[in-house]
Amino acid sequence: MAPFEPVLTRGLGRLDLTDLSVYEAQGGFGALRKALRDMTPEAVVNEVSASNLRGRGGAGFPTGRKWSFLPNDGRPRYLVCNCDEAEPGTFKDHMLLEQTPFQIIEGLVISAYAIRAERAFMYIRGEFLEGYRIFRRALETARERGYVGPRIAGSDFSLDIVVHRGAGAYICGEETAMLESIEGKRGEPRLKPPFPANAGLYGMPTVVNNVETLCCVPHIVERGAQWFSSIGPPKCPGPKIISVSGHVRKPGNYEVPMGIPAGQLIEEYAGGLEPGRRLKAIQPGGGSSAAIFEEDLDTGLDFDSLAAKGTMLGSGGFVVMDDRTCLVRAALTLVRFFEHESCGQCTPCREGGQWVARMVGRLEAGEGSNADLAILRTLNRTLTGTNLCPLGDSIMPFLSSVLRRFPEEFETHVTQAGCPLAAEQAVAAGAGA
Amino acid sequence: MSPERRRKAEELAARYPRRQSALIPFLQYCQEQDGFVTRQAIRDGAEMCGLTEAEVESIASFYTLLFRQSVGKHLIQVCRTLSCMLRGAGELQEHIRRRLGVRNGETTPDGLFTYEEVECLAACDRAPCLQHNLMFHYNVTPDEFDRLLETWRASRPAVSLPAE
Amino acid sequence: MTNGRRMVRLTIDGTSLEVPEGTLLVEAAKSIGVHIPVYCYHPKMDPAGLCRICLVEIEKMPKLQIACNTQVAEGMVVHTASSRVAEGRRGVLEFLLLNHPLDCPICDKGGECDLQDFTLTYGPGASRLTEPKLHKPKAVDLGPTIVLDEERCILCRRCTRFDNEITHERRLIVVERGHRSLIGTADGKPYTSYFSGNTTEICPVGALTSKAYRFRSRPWDLSHADSVCTQCSVGCNYRIDSRFGRIMRTYTRENPAVDDGWICDRGRYTFNYLYEPSRLRQPLIAVDGELKAATFDEAIALTAEKLGRAAQARRVGIIGGGRLSDEEAFALQLLARDVLGSDNIDYRASAQKYASPPRYEARLADIDDASLILIFGAVTPEQAPIADLRIRRAVARRHARLLFVGPFVPPAFVPSRHVPYAPGEIAPLMRALADVVHHGREEQGEGFVAEIAQALAQAEKIIAIHNGRDPQAVEALDALLDRLAQYDHPVGVLVVGAAGNARGAEAAGCVPNLGPGYAPLGRTGMTTARMLDAAARGEIDALFIAGANPALTFPDGALVRRALERVEFLAVSEQVMTETAAYADVVFAAASFAEKSGHVTNLEGRQQPFHQAVEPPVQVATDAQILAALAHALGKPWVISAEPAVLFSQLEKMQRPARTRSSRDPLPRPCVDDPVPVPDPASWPDGLTVIPIPHLYAGGGAAAHDPGLAPMRPQPFAVFHPQDAQQRGVADGTRVRLRGPGGEIEVQARTGDHVPPGSVLVLADMPEAPVNKLTNASGYGVACVDAATVTASQELSA
Ligand SMILES: Cc1cc2nc3c(=O)[nH]c(=O)nc-3n(C[C@H](O)[C@H](O)[C@H](O)COP(=O)(O)O)c2cc1C
Ligand code: SF4
Ligand code: SF4
Ligand code: SF4
Ligand code: FES
Ligand code: FES
Repeated sequence: MAPFEPVLTRGLGRLDLTDLSVYEAQGGFGALRKALRDMTPEAVVNEVSASNLRGRGGAGFPTGRKWSFLPNDGRPRYLVCNCDEAEPGTFKDHMLLEQTPFQIIEGLVISAYAIRAERAFMYIRGEFLEGYRIFRRALETARERGYVGPRIAGSDFSLDIVVHRGAGAYICGEETAMLESIEGKRGEPRLKPPFPANAGLYGMPTVVNNVETLCCVPHIVERGAQWFSSIGPPKCPGPKIISVSGHVRKPGNYEVPMGIPAGQLIEEYAGGLEPGRRLKAIQPGGGSSAAIFEEDLDTGLDFDSLAAKGTMLGSGGFVVMDDRTCLVRAALTLVRFFEHESCGQCTPCREGGQWVARMVGRLEAGEGSNADLAILRTLNRTLTGTNLCPLGDSIMPFLSSVLRRFPEEFETHVTQAGCPLAAEQAVAAGAGA
Repeated sequence: MSPERRRKAEELAARYPRRQSALIPFLQYCQEQDGFVTRQAIRDGAEMCGLTEAEVESIASFYTLLFRQSVGKHLIQVCRTLSCMLRGAGELQEHIRRRLGVRNGETTPDGLFTYEEVECLAACDRAPCLQHNLMFHYNVTPDEFDRLLETWRASRPAVSLPAE
Repeated sequence: MTNGRRMVRLTIDGTSLEVPEGTLLVEAAKSIGVHIPVYCYHPKMDPAGLCRICLVEIEKMPKLQIACNTQVAEGMVVHTASSRVAEGRRGVLEFLLLNHPLDCPICDKGGECDLQDFTLTYGPGASRLTEPKLHKPKAVDLGPTIVLDEERCILCRRCTRFDNEITHERRLIVVERGHRSLIGTADGKPYTSYFSGNTTEICPVGALTSKAYRFRSRPWDLSHADSVCTQCSVGCNYRIDSRFGRIMRTYTRENPAVDDGWICDRGRYTFNYLYEPSRLRQPLIAVDGELKAATFDEAIALTAEKLGRAAQARRVGIIGGGRLSDEEAFALQLLARDVLGSDNIDYRASAQKYASPPRYEARLADIDDASLILIFGAVTPEQAPIADLRIRRAVARRHARLLFVGPFVPPAFVPSRHVPYAPGEIAPLMRALADVVHHGREEQGEGFVAEIAQALAQAEKIIAIHNGRDPQAVEALDALLDRLAQYDHPVGVLVVGAAGNARGAEAAGCVPNLGPGYAPLGRTGMTTARMLDAAARGEIDALFIAGANPALTFPDGALVRRALERVEFLAVSEQVMTETAAYADVVFAAASFAEKSGHVTNLEGRQQPFHQAVEPPVQVATDAQILAALAHALGKPWVISAEPAVLFSQLEKMQRPARTRSSRDPLPRPCVDDPVPVPDPASWPDGLTVIPIPHLYAGGGAAAHDPGLAPMRPQPFAVFHPQDAQQRGVADGTRVRLRGPGGEIEVQARTGDHVPPGSVLVLADMPEAPVNKLTNASGYGVACVDAATVTASQELSA
């Protein structure tokens, strides 16, 4: 097999792809011309369907299928690009936004053409002010060069892209919350049905896609579905950017073929663990995913393989924890995250999330009890799967997985009224820092 | 509404198919000018979108980057989520709290610095990280923070919450 | 009812059933008696799916589903009592109880709380909730009527959704997010909706409670009586809950055709006046110009003697009926006609002339699918609040157009179009409309005529709502509707009554030219105006006024005052001392609606029974008893029974022909006085046209004396156009005196763009500042601002 060549991140770090001429020199906007000149919208949809591209925002839904759900009833349609990246451990869209904005624009225009969207919206996380500025500048340039706006690249297709900056709320990454947010409301997920394909933005048929998903589209158009689906497992193929962070020597975004084994990613891309350290746990797919462990290092990083392991690829936020890690503390940062980010609409997530955070907080502070542990062991039954949106269902997976794998670490927090590792490390480091 | 605000409101509203979509950008704009979302801004936002003040209040209170009270000239937001935790965010936070003499969410008595612990900033590979007036600083050690603090003290930033 | 919808077959807990497509699972289950607990779901509002208590198991679906937002599907197999469901529900309850205070013993909702109930039925057994409670604000003063306990709140958002989806007022909100979420208002402003009390009913827990009911009783101690609200002409159905013979609260009693399950705060809270010292508890007789306690027999004897003598001289008059029951209104006209031999009987104690549309009678429910709602004269949010909710829904959710024709912009919570027309111009407008519509030349109308005519021509169903004040406009409207009906537009009319039972009184024969059932008499007695005029000239010797307060409500205030001062004998039947009763020689202490039974007829002509809830004080009699006693004392005991049931059977027979007549036959109309022109503002130095405006909490009777309404009651005020205010040096908030030819009143000045220049809107029916001192019989007046008061108040504020 030929060695894998980066697709989405080609040239990044080497070239200044925020410069349009550099992007064009690398073949940028070729796919846009091809699609608009040589392909019908249906042909683009078909090509994307055939490629088996699955959404990179977390759920892994087949993109072509999503596009073909839109009813043909003459109402205006909208495309929304989800750049609200806030899933703990994920930082790929942030990078794409700041370093290759034209690729996003190209993906947006082609996708909007494919679904015959009347307007596209770029929702950028509020914290990405720099990225927002870069993107707006890029959009201006693209508009001047006729890649966005009326009669794009000489075709009959016109598209306006509205850039919308968020204002601080992880939940707005959830697609229906995002639509509410663009409509100028509280970013609270909507009750489904109806689904966005039928009643999305302003009640109109709408597609929401992740930044990385849209970035794949020009390459599929240019190089064909066949090429794309030959990378990685056929059911969820393609290049995938994995954000690696935590206890590795070279944290960073790595574009890999879908399905690469976890161990290989750590060793060959991320520089391995620090010398003398041993792997304890990995969160493979963002803060919402259950942990995998040493014994799972040969698991392929793709939607299906990880699902088979009871976890998920999610957004591709890959956090490595070595043996220094207190998993109670790790779990605490995550359950606190969900407590903080719950929109508060529904009971289990709002109340249960807060309860879990308090219990884990107690454990971490050495004030927990066996009763807390007993409750935590059962809560996934009533707190997971009972919520209005997936956020509430994300509170328990990581906690449950590490509690199951390392029960003694949690129990010791009760019996020793605190973290055994902290004490160890204090000795090892010769004083706490 | 002041004529200038009205102009801005119209400019923002024109970007969207429906006016209310411009509400949050409008409040961000008002916040940039006033330092936080004032009652007047809430009223103006309501007028602009045909909403009640109550509705705008409800919407504004949802978003953590819309502040209902004035913040310091320097807004320091430090990530507290997993990847940063694994690489020293806890120590950094403790250092900053001690250094500024504030707790999470507080502003120094001189009104210069507001300190906040926030969730994952999507820069986990350069942990621990923080934002100063929404600008990123990566791999911030306590020493690095002290250095940054000196430059911030010496500078006179115009806006702690830029809108655009 | 299937409404022609396809039927779907499914199985719930082993029972197979068929329900129309689109039915929600909760409702389907309800239809076969399977109870699924709900908190956030409310049948009158959109499903929200927030609380998650309604989880059920549906075969072939991996996760539990919420029954409140799942529509039935063919072949669906649902389990509502499986162990998984039980576990899910237990979980939700556990989460809700985590931070819920354990104060059920002192909670007003105790005994009718869904959290308490469901916890008993489905809740976690041995509690593992040792968690210390999080604290949130308790006893938050939400406004004049409501107290909020944020700790008890389970954030189901029924209240905020009610305020949004039902009232469209959008002032009750959720602030913050996550578990920090709180229910509140903007900036802690008081929640002053006219419908606030409903939130205490729909709140599934004791988070929202009525100030009026706080700590007063427990639900299981209450006796219930089905009654009907008579505070306005909508006639909402409600229940009166009492304990030890005292009313504790009122509660909705849903009638989908009338109130749709809601009541307004005027209706809900007007009952404590009954227990105030100002409540009349025994008859009074004037001795040397001062009213002194008397026995019922003394009062009857004196009144019978005076009325009898005046009747012999054909110098007697009777006013009232609009605030009596149908039976009593019927008895009142019996007293006039069959006991005293006079047709001088009139229920019309205000500017209202008609309470029933002669044709095209609409039902309230006709508003629901109207495509155009045309309102003139009536101010529905103030005068028919619960009907206004229907209007709001039709406009906001069913895209009806709302056209308001009249001199000022009325309050509106949904998009509406105001078409400015000066008082007195409405009739010509209606004629012009009828003309262009008749000739199919809608677009050629002048000014607003074209706009309205085109709207009418395009509308699929038109409902006109007015206040029955302007006979010429009503006549012209009729002609217009004739034209529209010719073109197959369904049309309908609703007349908002000035008094709660105005239509009932009209139908019972309390008008000079019509008997019960609108039966034309072929002769006519005097209208209210003519009786007052005659009394003022000494041509009437005795007046009996039952449940009416013309001294405050009759537009020609100067005339009323002259009449009441001059008339030799005045008897009044009332519950509290009113402006009219103050002139009386005899005052009867009358029972309230809660203290008797009978029927009332609402603005759509629906005759509704109401039942006695509590006993009146011993010396207080019902109006039927008073009237029967008078008949007895006048030697005709057989004419008037004191028994509502007897009166009703007589009345019903006489009303039957009108009810069963063909819809094409117009109802005969009450006779009216010759029109009086609107005073010319130029006729008065620096004059402004006085336009009285109604207010839900105005009025001189119960409303003025009820401590429950006191916090909501407005101070008398007048609203000027900013320009007029400026010219006169009047600033917002200052007290000014308005002086007109007939007298002067003191009010607080306000300014508003919705006032037409050259006019001033003055709060009507305020005893402290009766606007009828400024108005003439047209209902409008003229006044100037007394310059002295302006400077004085400015000095005060300076
Ligand atoms: C709580 C929550 C947060 C989410 N955040 C993001 C996000 O930041 N970016 C994103 O692309 N998708 C996010 N998603 C997924 C979106 O709902 C949606 O599935 C996605 O944008 C669809 O795009 P795709 O099909 O291209 O993956 C989130 C989902 C949930 C439930
Ligand atoms: S699960 Fe959480 S975030 Fe999602 S709707 Fe419910 S409360 Fe909001
Ligand atoms: S106050 Fe009552 S109705 Fe309103 S959200 Fe809370 S529990 Fe629900
Ligand atoms: S709308 Fe009228 S009838 Fe209904 S509750 Fe209110 S006052 Fe009573
Ligand atoms: S955890 Fe700190 S930036 Fe992601
Ligand atoms: S009743 Fe169904 S979620 Fe609340």
